[in-house]
Amino acid sequence: MTRPFLYLLRAGLLGLLCLISPALWAASLQAELVDTQGQPLTGAVLTLQGPLGAEAEPVTALMDQQAKQFVPNVLVVRSGTKVAFPNSDNIRHHVYSFSPAKRFELRLYQGTPSAPVLFDTPGAVVLGCNIHDWMVGYVYVTDDPWFAVSDAQGRVQLDSLPVGSYAVSLWHPQAPDMLPQAAGTLVLGELQTRQRFTLAMQASTVVAPPQGPASAFGDAFKKAKRDAAP
Amino acid sequence: MLPRSFQARIASVLILLMLVVVGALYFAVQAATTVAVRSQAREQLDVGTRVFEQLLDVRGRQLHDAVQVLAADFGFKAAVASGDSATIRSALANHGARINASAVMMLGLDGNLEVSTDERIGGQTAARLSAQVRALQRDGEQIVLLPIGDSIYLLVQATVNAPLPIARVMMGFEVDEAFARELRELTLLELTLVARQEGLPAIWISTLPASTQALLQNDMAIEPAAASDLMLIGEERYLDQRLVLASGDGFEVRALLHKSMTQAQQAFAPLDRNILLIAMVALLAALGGALLLARNISQPVQRLAAVAERVGRGDYQMPLELHRNDELGSLAKAFHTMQQGIAERERQLAHNALHDALTGLPNRTLAQERLGSAIAAGRPTALLYVGVGNLRAVNDSCGPGASDLALQQLSQRLQDSLRPGDSLAQLMTSELLLLLENSDGDSAIVVGDRLQQLLSKPLRIGNQEVVLDCCVGIAAYPADGETADDLLRRASIAMQDAAQLPGRLQMYERGRDAAHQRQIRLIRDLRLAPDNAELLLHYQPKLDIAAGKVRQAEALLRWQHPQLGMISPGEFIPLAERTGSIQNLTAWVIEEALRQLREWNGRGLRVQLSLNISTEDLVDPKLPARVSQLLMRYQVPAEQLIFEITESGVMLNPTLALQVLHGLRDLGISLSVDDFGTGYSSLTQLKRMPVQELKIDQSFILDLDEASEDAVIVRSTIEMSHSLGLKVVAEGVELACSLRMLERWQCDSAQGYLISRPLPAAAFEAWVAQPLPAAALKVS
Repeated sequence: MTRPFLYLLRAGLLGLLCLISPALWAASLQAELVDTQGQPLTGAVLTLQGPLGAEAEPVTALMDQQAKQFVPNVLVVRSGTKVAFPNSDNIRHHVYSFSPAKRFELRLYQGTPSAPVLFDTPGAVVLGCNIHDWMVGYVYVTDDPWFAVSDAQGRVQLDSLPVGSYAVSLWHPQAPDMLPQAAGTLVLGELQTRQRFTLAMQASTVVAPPQGPASAFGDAFKKAKRDAAP
Repeated sequence: MLPRSFQARIASVLILLMLVVVGALYFAVQAATTVAVRSQAREQLDVGTRVFEQLLDVRGRQLHDAVQVLAADFGFKAAVASGDSATIRSALANHGARINASAVMMLGLDGNLEVSTDERIGGQTAARLSAQVRALQRDGEQIVLLPIGDSIYLLVQATVNAPLPIARVMMGFEVDEAFARELRELTLLELTLVARQEGLPAIWISTLPASTQALLQNDMAIEPAAASDLMLIGEERYLDQRLVLASGDGFEVRALLHKSMTQAQQAFAPLDRNILLIAMVALLAALGGALLLARNISQPVQRLAAVAERVGRGDYQMPLELHRNDELGSLAKAFHTMQQGIAERERQLAHNALHDALTGLPNRTLAQERLGSAIAAGRPTALLYVGVGNLRAVNDSCGPGASDLALQQLSQRLQDSLRPGDSLAQLMTSELLLLLENSDGDSAIVVGDRLQQLLSKPLRIGNQEVVLDCCVGIAAYPADGETADDLLRRASIAMQDAAQLPGRLQMYERGRDAAHQRQIRLIRDLRLAPDNAELLLHYQPKLDIAAGKVRQAEALLRWQHPQLGMISPGEFIPLAERTGSIQNLTAWVIEEALRQLREWNGRGLRVQLSLNISTEDLVDPKLPARVSQLLMRYQVPAEQLIFEITESGVMLNPTLALQVLHGLRDLGISLSVDDFGTGYSSLTQLKRMPVQELKIDQSFILDLDEASEDAVIVRSTIEMSHSLGLKVVAEGVELACSLRMLERWQCDSAQGYLISRPLPAAAFEAWVAQPLPAAALKVS
């Protein structure tokens, strides 16, 4: 009973803070994330390390599983955030991660597991489902206070940022070696800042959903015979 | 060289045909089976290839699945994520063992070998393999064959996803001889796998025997081309299917599937054997059939040939019956008919050879044979030789063919009179012989007499009655000769002698044979006498009674035989007349007389010569011309010649004779009728002849007596002649009284020993020069 109450309280306080100090929280950033070809990147993560350290508050995030997919596909959380893995499907899932940032395993379950998983180490955590190989989800754990995930157009909108200088980090599941890339510093004024970031990408290694079995040698022989034929 | 017998020829032709057919069949089947074997082998290879492919595919998929399963295993993923290599190795070994994989390796995403169950595969090799596998995988091949060290591996690789790739797992299955054997058991094909790597010796895996394998390696080294072909490995032929299973940088894996053609062809060996067997049986059957057929034909032919040979030797009794309805049967029948025909004709010929065609009687040959056998048996036998003297006259009077009828009737009559044991033969047209066995000469005379009477009875030919003039001569064995020829000749002589006798029957007289031999010799030598200068003329003076002078002479032919001495004209002239050489003699006489006349004329001795002209000369129409030529040649006047002819000579052919006489007369030659009074010439005939003289036969003159009948005849003849204008000559004047009578009767000339015997030319000349002898002179 106490915990929902606390959540409500925290939200209210935050809103009050925003209202009472408009000058202090005036900056906003509208960023566009593209790959080296200029194509907008979906699911890219942008984090900002600002002049003021935001206090880390214990927050619980959600990584849902809908239609045998992780929703959202990319979830960004601050270190120390607990993430709940509710299962919206009517089948069971077996969510696991062998990523060094967080190793865990939620054995076959249905509905919401009893306890959320605490992500306390920054880094990319790749989520998989042991019984649905194609299910891949990412939990990006960062120490930066401000972050956002790009939408389908590759856009990121961050509002109510303190005016100041920020170190920008970018991440994407297909970033090289799945490491965040520093994107320099950004000075945000009171006006809305528009910025375009380019992220180097690695070839996709996403596992494809199962297909019909391939008869590799059959092809090889047919080829060999074709070659042999005069 | 062709076989000569018909049988062998038929057999060889049939067998040759059979050989051709069987040979063609055999080779056709051989060709068909070879093609079938080849296509079957090819098919088998194709099937084997698919099986091989399937086998590899299955094995590969098995591996692939296994590695996929391994890669997807949560525990394994957890182990990999843990980074504990001992755990990972044990997991790899465990999963490899499940599917009998030979090697299982795990590599990092960067290609570094992290864990391997096979120590032989080092990190470098693994990295190379992984790169090669990944390269092939990028080309779409999930399962690859690669040579590793001295083995060939079937390799699969899978990525360990957690859920993103964290590592790669590679599994290898060693393709070894067990695998190849498995394929062989499935497909009955031999399999060879060859992997070549750069810088390393090629890897060979084969189910072929080691020796064959070595040969194959050798061959492949020399000529690695030809994807599939007939290949001769050692003694065995193989049909090959060659496949490139995998190839890449510095390596190549090939598969060779072999189908032993030798083995495949063995399946058809029973067929070959059967065909060979059938061919042999067919050949043997053909041989048998051909021999049988040929025998069926040649045996009758041989029998026919044997019969023909027997027929050739004169044996017509050999039976010939084939009882066949075919051509040979009809040939046999024809042979049979021919055999009979020949036999019949030969019998006929034999009969003809031994029998007379007209009367059907045995001929001389058969008669001699019979006589010979009688002599050989020592049976006394009498020969009755019958000669018919007037057959020619019968023909003349009764027309041609009459003599044949007469002879037939005669022979019939003779045959009817035969006693048992007697036999009749016809020796010549007019001569028949009757043999009386067990009969001596005396009893033969009785038979001969009876026969003579029988034969003298008239025969009826057409409307005329004819009496044949038959003479019978008899000779007897053993009295008259020891051989058939002697007996026949002596019987013939007796018959000729009989012809001179009124009874016309004569027994052979001893010595007649010698006379006969002399006659034959004379006949033979007479022909040569004129040329051998054995002839000469003697001249007998003719006294002109009224004048008491000799102005005429008769030339008489004399023959001085070198051995037999002087031959009398009475002996040789009849022989010459009988044999026809008289004309030669006459010609000689005429020429010699003319020569002598010329000689005498030259010496002033003028004589008129009388020459005897034979009957044959009178029927020679060329005689006047010939004489005319001779007169011209010797320059002798025709008036110095007188030709004496006989009445009978003119009678033979009066028309022709008269023609010749007129011809002679026209030349100027005088003609005289010799031997007047002995013939039966009519006065009418005498009147028609152009004669100038009559010569009264000496038989009237020799014993001339005043009171005798001869005197009357002579005297009336002289008177009649004178009244006809003919002169008269008396021959055979030997007595002076005869001469005186003749003188009184006014006979013109006299000739005889009273005046002179015939003298040689020189003697005659001398005689003429002397005065007449007293006897002759007394007349005047």
